Amino acid sequence: MNATAGATARDYFSLFQLEPDFALDETALERAYHALLTQFHPDRYAGKPQVEQRVAAQFCADINSGFRILSDEVSRAEYLLQQAGVDLVAAERAGVESTFLMTQISLREQLEELAPSDAAGRQDLTADIQGHYTASRDQFAKTLAANAYLDAARHWQEMCYLSKLLSEPKLRVS
Amino acid sequence: MALLQIAEPGATPESHTERQIGVGIDLGTTNSLIAHFDGTNLNVLTGDTGQASLPSVVYYGKSKTLVGADAEQQASAEPGNTIASAKRMLGRSREEFEEDPYIQLAAGESLAFATDAGAKTPVEVSAAILGALKDRAGPRLSGPIAGAVITVPAYFDDAQRQATRQAAELAGIKVLRLLNEPTAAAVAYGLDEQAEESSLLAVYDLGGGTFDISLLRMRAGLFEVLATGGDSALGGDDFDRALAAHLFAELSIGEPTAVQRRVALSLARDAKERLSDTASVDLDVSGLDAVTGEITVSRSTLETLLSPYIERTLDACRQTLADASIDAVDRVVLVGGSTRTPAVRQAVANCFGLEPLCNLDPDQVVAMGAARQADILVGNRQGDEALLLDVIPLSLGLETYGGLVERIVDRNSTIPVARAQEFTTARDGQTGLVVHVVQGERERVEDCRSLARFELTGIPSMVAGAARIEVTFQVDADGILAVSAVEQQTGARSEIVVKPAFGLDEAQITNMLKAGYEHAGEDMLARKLGEARVEAEALLDGLQAAMTVDGDLLSEDETAALQSDMQSLETVMAANQSDDIREATEILGKASEVFAARRMDRSIQKALQGVALSELESDVAEESTP
Repeated sequence: MNATAGATARDYFSLFQLEPDFALDETALERAYHALLTQFHPDRYAGKPQVEQRVAAQFCADINSGFRILSDEVSRAEYLLQQAGVDLVAAERAGVESTFLMTQISLREQLEELAPSDAAGRQDLTADIQGHYTASRDQFAKTLAANAYLDAARHWQEMCYLSKLLSEPKLRVS
Repeated sequence: MALLQIAEPGATPESHTERQIGVGIDLGTTNSLIAHFDGTNLNVLTGDTGQASLPSVVYYGKSKTLVGADAEQQASAEPGNTIASAKRMLGRSREEFEEDPYIQLAAGESLAFATDAGAKTPVEVSAAILGALKDRAGPRLSGPIAGAVITVPAYFDDAQRQATRQAAELAGIKVLRLLNEPTAAAVAYGLDEQAEESSLLAVYDLGGGTFDISLLRMRAGLFEVLATGGDSALGGDDFDRALAAHLFAELSIGEPTAVQRRVALSLARDAKERLSDTASVDLDVSGLDAVTGEITVSRSTLETLLSPYIERTLDACRQTLADASIDAVDRVVLVGGSTRTPAVRQAVANCFGLEPLCNLDPDQVVAMGAARQADILVGNRQGDEALLLDVIPLSLGLETYGGLVERIVDRNSTIPVARAQEFTTARDGQTGLVVHVVQGERERVEDCRSLARFELTGIPSMVAGAARIEVTFQVDADGILAVSAVEQQTGARSEIVVKPAFGLDEAQITNMLKAGYEHAGEDMLARKLGEARVEAEALLDGLQAAMTVDGDLLSEDETAALQSDMQSLETVMAANQSDDIREATEILGKASEVFAARRMDRSIQKALQGVALSELESDVAEESTP
């Protein structure tokens, strides 16, 4: 049950005039995002007829959704899989490999054992998770580029799991 | 003899080439202000006595209604008829205030004050304040007010925003935009507006009844709100109440009367303000207790009383920094009268490790920023002005099975935003579905604010889990929500603009408008007709121009259809019936939506070509500088 970007299915890469690729020039994305908003933000349509205000607001919502999805690696990966026609529900059912499951369990245990006062331990664990995340991300990029979508979908799930783990309150600086 | 005007050849003698008047209004809990920017000067408009701020107090007597300082003077004689801090109650439910000893509620189910002039809702009280501001501005402006930017606490939820809009509607003010107070303050400071280097700004806004903290990133004319947080029921009023409670404790007054509460509050406010400059004050409490003459309050006593409230604001600051994944900011700006309290300034400085900026009057800075933005939105400047990107303060979601909340739009999402999500039925043969919209961060429905409920019917009978219902949330640039639900296979559809559950319905508003206008002797029909004509003309002119430039985007049939709808609108305009004009405008508007969308698609190319060009220029500039 994933949130999608509203009724209009727009190709976000072409919206921002970028190559549909996992590797992405973040500065170019941000520059295009700001340029589009500068032109289409409802504030620019305040004196215009209501129909134009309405269309601009919808358009602007699209621009915001597109930026939100493309600017984050995990959601960008998911979007690329969707665009390639991968059945994400089936992929989630297929799950991850057992070696990753073991990693998952071990990381989760380490997190639970982490004492709130243990700043060094928190740093080590964060770095460890980040290392795993980078590995999964690189695997995703490689498999996607090779059109090996099922493998890519598996690595995408790893990315989801690891990025969620990184945002655990226990790992955040207090 | 009046001379005929002759326009210069090529110039367009249209009304919008004249300077339109937009005003900024800070509708505050304790004080309200109205300001105007004329392109050169930024003026906070004063009343007859030269005071910039209008106390947000309304007196409803048997024979008259007073607003501002005049109303305030009635407070001790007729506390029940004198309504202060109504903003705290905008968009709220009766249950939340039933225990409040400072309020006398009218009988009935809605949240309203009992006064000698009848039951008055917080929306009506706010409308009276807005009306008084409008009256004060009238003689000081060169023409009619075309529209207003009204500020609201960033932390206001959907119901509170809608209630604010309703108040403006009641007061006959066209709202150009609801702008978050901290964002308005940032605009007023306009820090390094055009600097290429981005900088981070925190706006700490502690007013009479609300606290907001916002983090903004500013670069090259762009004000981007990264995160916002706060508490819509925390402010200087709490300081006063804490000090008043302290006085009652000192005097062993167990159950103070309404009059005693008023007296104590005003003593407390006075003491708080004086303690900003001195170490201790002697208060004449003979009005509270005939036996005791004076009580001494020291600054350290006050600081002890305030510290739990200040600590709550700092918690919100830390949470918001974490939300935005930011460790430090470049600048902190203070907004709101309560930031005059030295203990608050010190606490903010410690929290951010920075000396806060306060060179603009913290009571006026919000209205000033709103006035600047109003001048832009009313159409006086085009192209080069700063752009504000704001966010929604609280997450929006739906109740799902078991009383849990499924979050659909996360807090701090940039607005406008639209997001859709699919749901399904829980039981076999289920043909209807109640959509319960809530706002808040908690996981259980009862811990969030309920915004609206509506029903989607006509789902075909299927086994549980087979129906596919897409629910779409749309939040506009004012932070106001519209929700729609569609069953994907049958197209069964249901949608609402979320009406504040505890606000007023359309019929109530219409009745109040009628009553108000009869009273003021204004002709509401004339105003409605005028508004309908302006909108119709704008649409016709806009379409005419668009068809000249982008006519190739339409097929011959489409062009003919649009022209026929335009013709119909022109015909009804001649008859001067506002409802007919409105209807025909609506039809033409809908018919031209596709054209408008195609034109925007075409202009994407242009917008991004501009980027490519400026990139090139900056590259060239870099090369040529050693």
